[in-house]
Amino acid sequence: MFRRLILVMVLALAGAPIARADAPTVTAVLTSSETEVDRPVQLRIKVTGDSEGAPPTDISVDGLEIHFTGQSQLVEGRNFHFSYSFIYSYTILPLKAGTFTIPPQTVKTKSGNLRTEALTLNVSLNGNGTTSSTRGRNGGGSTIDERKLVFADLVVPKTTAYVGELIPVEIRLGFNTRTRARLAEGPSLTAQSFTTQRMPEPQQSVETVNGVQFQVVTFKTAIAAARSGKFEVGPVEAKALVQVPRRAGSRGRSPFDVFGMNDPFNDPFFQDPFAGIPEQRQIDMKSQTVAVEIKPLPPNSPASFSGAVGNFGLTTDVKPKKAQIGDPLTVTAVISGRGNFDRVNSPTIEDDRGWHTYPPSAKFQPDDDVGLSGTKSFEMVLTPNENKTAVPPLLFSYFDPLKERYITLNSEKLPITIEGGAAPVPSAAVASASNTPPTAQPTPAPQADDILYLLTDRPRWVQSFAPVFERPVFWAVQVVPLLALIGFFGWKSRQRRLANREGQQRAAWEEETAELQKKLRRAEDPPDRYFAEALRVVQLKTALARRVPPNTVDAETAVSAFQLDDEKRARVRELFRQSDELRYSGRQNGHGAVNDAMRREVLELIDSLS
Amino acid sequence: MRARFLLVFCAAALCLTTTPRAEAQAETTFAKANADYSAGHFADAVKGYESLVQAHHWSANVFYDLGNAYFRTGDFGRAILNYERALALNPTQPEAQANLRLVRDQSRALELAPNWPEEHLDFLTTNQYAIVAAVAFWLAVFVFAAMFFMRRRPVVWIFVLLLLCAIAGGSVFAISAFETGTKGRDVAIVTAPKIQARLATAESAGTVLVLPPGSEIKILSTRGAWSYAALPNDLRGWIPAQGAERVRL
Repeated sequence: MFRRLILVMVLALAGAPIARADAPTVTAVLTSSETEVDRPVQLRIKVTGDSEGAPPTDISVDGLEIHFTGQSQLVEGRNFHFSYSFIYSYTILPLKAGTFTIPPQTVKTKSGNLRTEALTLNVSLNGNGTTSSTRGRNGGGSTIDERKLVFADLVVPKTTAYVGELIPVEIRLGFNTRTRARLAEGPSLTAQSFTTQRMPEPQQSVETVNGVQFQVVTFKTAIAAARSGKFEVGPVEAKALVQVPRRAGSRGRSPFDVFGMNDPFNDPFFQDPFAGIPEQRQIDMKSQTVAVEIKPLPPNSPASFSGAVGNFGLTTDVKPKKAQIGDPLTVTAVISGRGNFDRVNSPTIEDDRGWHTYPPSAKFQPDDDVGLSGTKSFEMVLTPNENKTAVPPLLFSYFDPLKERYITLNSEKLPITIEGGAAPVPSAAVASASNTPPTAQPTPAPQADDILYLLTDRPRWVQSFAPVFERPVFWAVQVVPLLALIGFFGWKSRQRRLANREGQQRAAWEEETAELQKKLRRAEDPPDRYFAEALRVVQLKTALARRVPPNTVDAETAVSAFQLDDEKRARVRELFRQSDELRYSGRQNGHGAVNDAMRREVLELIDSLS
Repeated sequence: MRARFLLVFCAAALCLTTTPRAEAQAETTFAKANADYSAGHFADAVKGYESLVQAHHWSANVFYDLGNAYFRTGDFGRAILNYERALALNPTQPEAQANLRLVRDQSRALELAPNWPEEHLDFLTTNQYAIVAAVAFWLAVFVFAAMFFMRRRPVVWIFVLLLLCAIAGGSVFAISAFETGTKGRDVAIVTAPKIQARLATAESAGTVLVLPPGSEIKILSTRGAWSYAALPNDLRGWIPAQGAERVRL
């Protein structure tokens, strides 16, 4: 019985591969055959009974945007009959309303090519009533009120101004805080017949407008009219990129879920696979316009008026305060205030007689980001042609829009001290100061304000402009004292060495003298050696006194080396004679020591040699 | 061997004879330029003097005469430049000093303000200070060496040593101040007309100072076709590099 059961099971399992080997089939379905513009539907192509298949890669239908989104595998088993299916998914985005036919698609399988049935998709108008998609224009379907997402506002506080007067302008761009938005382009301000100041970095704040919270970006700038009349300022235009959530679609039953089972195709993902991903949309922002009236400047402007409109002050300074005729003086004029500084030019000198002026330089330091107020400094170089006590006043004119009249600022006179007479001119005295009187040329004849004559002497050619210490010969010459220094060191070292040798010799003699005197006092040696040692002491003492070698010292040398009386001299001579006699005659005084009287006599004699 | 000896001998003889010949030719050119100047042919005189300068036949007289020739042609900038060069070679040339002052006054050229050492230590030239520094240095070295070998070092010798060191150091300081001052190696003269010193290396940059031809500047650095320079009135700015020439060649 048990064996039969196993046999049945084996046969049943063996039947499964047989079922898998059935002829493959293909089915194409749409998740919904009815949809709206910009509302995507899903196309699924299901291949059953084949392990591999090549789905169509490009399905093109005019008015529909169809993209392959992926494939999945499905294993189904019913009554021990297993089937394998491959499902290829496509997203169809209707771009316009109408009835569209998706043509039969060919799927390549191992068993051959399979063809699907044609499908029909009815696309109706969307909620905005648009018959075509807005994706091509601004990147996505628009069913959201853009005014609740972003806004642009232009604030012009002054609607009446004069030509050239700076009018502050504020541009406000708002972004709904519940969306992720950023400024993609702009803002740009349309203002014909106006010049616009630079736009600094904006300020950001959060404001509530009509119950909606906005992130507001505020740009500040200023405009100035080039001519009079009535003009429209604006609109301000900008482009924003806003991320908005996708709209959720209706969830119908899967056509594969015939029996209401939990068909994987019935997952919400297949309703709209992009529903969880917000889409980015570009929104054009545009503000209202503002009417501005520009009045012309009054006639009869001052001569020093250069177009400055606003309210300004003037301070001046000069450096140095003490100079010679012809020396440059730097006059600094500082204009500060509020107005169109681009039209503020250097002040003019009230009376420039006796002065030589040079074009000034200018430097502007704004006090705010826009440049409405600030300080403009001018530095001009003046050189006095004659004695002056002060730099004349500087004039600066501007139009005050509040007082509605021209104002001319006069600076104070700047006191200075100019020394010296007329500018120096070369004279004959200069020529006579020359060490080498040149040969004067008759033409051109020197005038009072003319240059001096040619120098026609035979030129002394030079090789270089370099100063002497940059020339190789200069450093080559330094070798001479260097060699002399080395020679000096060598000479002095040798001298010192020689001096050292003599000193050592003398020290050795003194040491030997001391040793011998000790021995003589002990008197332990026999007479011949005792007298020889005594003689040696006399020779050493004489050598130390006379700076002569001790071996060359004889009795007369020793006698003459010291101031001795006759008796001592005789005893010195006797000492030499006695020593020679003992050394050369061979006469022995025995092996005993020298007697005390003789020893005392010898020692007294030696001590007296100093 | 003999041929090689002859070759060396000929080369040496050529070298010895070329220099005097070139100098003789330069003197001929100089005389001709002087003649052109005297005849009122100033442009030809300029060419003659300039050919000498190009051939490195430099002399204070040549530069002075070239400055005169440029003055006659109305080129005040180059006239001042060549007077400055004449004075760089011979700082005591009175004619160049007088003409330089005259042309500067006429052209309204701006001058750099001299530094303190230039105002107070100008009794010697840079070369003279260099020689003084070298002599004082070596004397100090020898005094020091002699004191090294002395057993007793007299105070007088120490004083002399300190004095020599001070002279050498002061001379080096003066040389340094002169070389970085208004007569130094970086000083240039504006030769082009309508030169404007600017805040940046662009023609559209703001103007710092307008420099008449002949104005003194000190070139601090060069970037491409622009030179950054110290200007009169303690200003600094960028000028076109071609608009000024260094005094020292």
